[in-house]
Amino acid sequence: MPMKGRFPIRRTLEFLQKGETVFKKSVQIMTVNYNTHGDLSEGARKFVFFNIPQIQYKNPWVQIMMFKNMTPSPFLRFYLDDGEQVLVDVEGKDHKEITNHVKMILGKSDKVLEAEALAKMELSNPANFGPKKYFLRECFSEVEGQVPHPGFVPLPKEMTGKYRAKLAAGSDE
Amino acid sequence: MSTRQASVHAKWIIGQVIGTKMKKTAKVRVTRLVLDPYLLKYYNKRKTYFAHDPLEQCTVGDVVLLKALPEKRSKHVNHELEEIVYKVGQVVDPLTGKRVAGKQYLEPLTESTEVSLTEKLEQLNITASTPPSVS
Repeated sequence: MPMKGRFPIRRTLEFLQKGETVFKKSVQIMTVNYNTHGDLSEGARKFVFFNIPQIQYKNPWVQIMMFKNMTPSPFLRFYLDDGEQVLVDVEGKDHKEITNHVKMILGKSDKVLEAEALAKMELSNPANFGPKKYFLRECFSEVEGQVPHPGFVPLPKEMTGKYRAKLAAGSDE
Repeated sequence: MSTRQASVHAKWIIGQVIGTKMKKTAKVRVTRLVLDPYLLKYYNKRKTYFAHDPLEQCTVGDVVLLKALPEKRSKHVNHELEEIVYKVGQVVDPLTGKRVAGKQYLEPLTESTEVSLTEKLEQLNITASTPPSVS
């Protein structure tokens, strides 16, 4: 059974996570003005249709607002933390050009993103054990190849305490 | 109770004015995109904020930029009006600076460098003199 809608791929986690635009910390609001008809707004319409969910997924704290049919030409407007406003004219551009341009002017660069990902990985060391909320595994028995907890799988007779005690008692006598 | 700094996590907010019945206060509706966890689609979620507007310059329907106040002004008012982005009925296109209504420009785009008709007439200096007789 296929997914519902025009381009249901937009509604998959994989597509949302593919978005590369992570805004710098100073960007607070993003406003898109575009028109519903007309060839010049076509790129802006595709941008809103495909790329806005990706951007919002990667930047959950940025407020994104869309305005339709307010002005004859489409544009993007960003409001930064220090009151500065960035105006981006989008008339006639393709949606891929728009995303690249926005990423270039207000997005974090690839190096910065990699450094952040690395710092995040360093915080969580997979060699540590503990509660499931913070660590990968709770006990060493969860590792493949190790003796599992007898609660899940009964131990072979030779390893149980009572058999060994009986053996020891038998060998003593 | 002592006032706390940075009462809201969002310093800047954009929204539409829905009410101005209060003195020097505007009721602003702010929409944010929220992901539906099952459909994985973004929908607008509304929230109303009250903003301090000392000059009472907002009308219902304006799109307005609000700035968070450093400390709460009253129990509900945490923001103040920073700038009216699009005034209802008098939207100004930021790219050209001209007034705009939907897809049309209300003001002409290019300043007409052509001389107006009356000025042209004066230049031609046509007076009510007797026309040259045609023989």
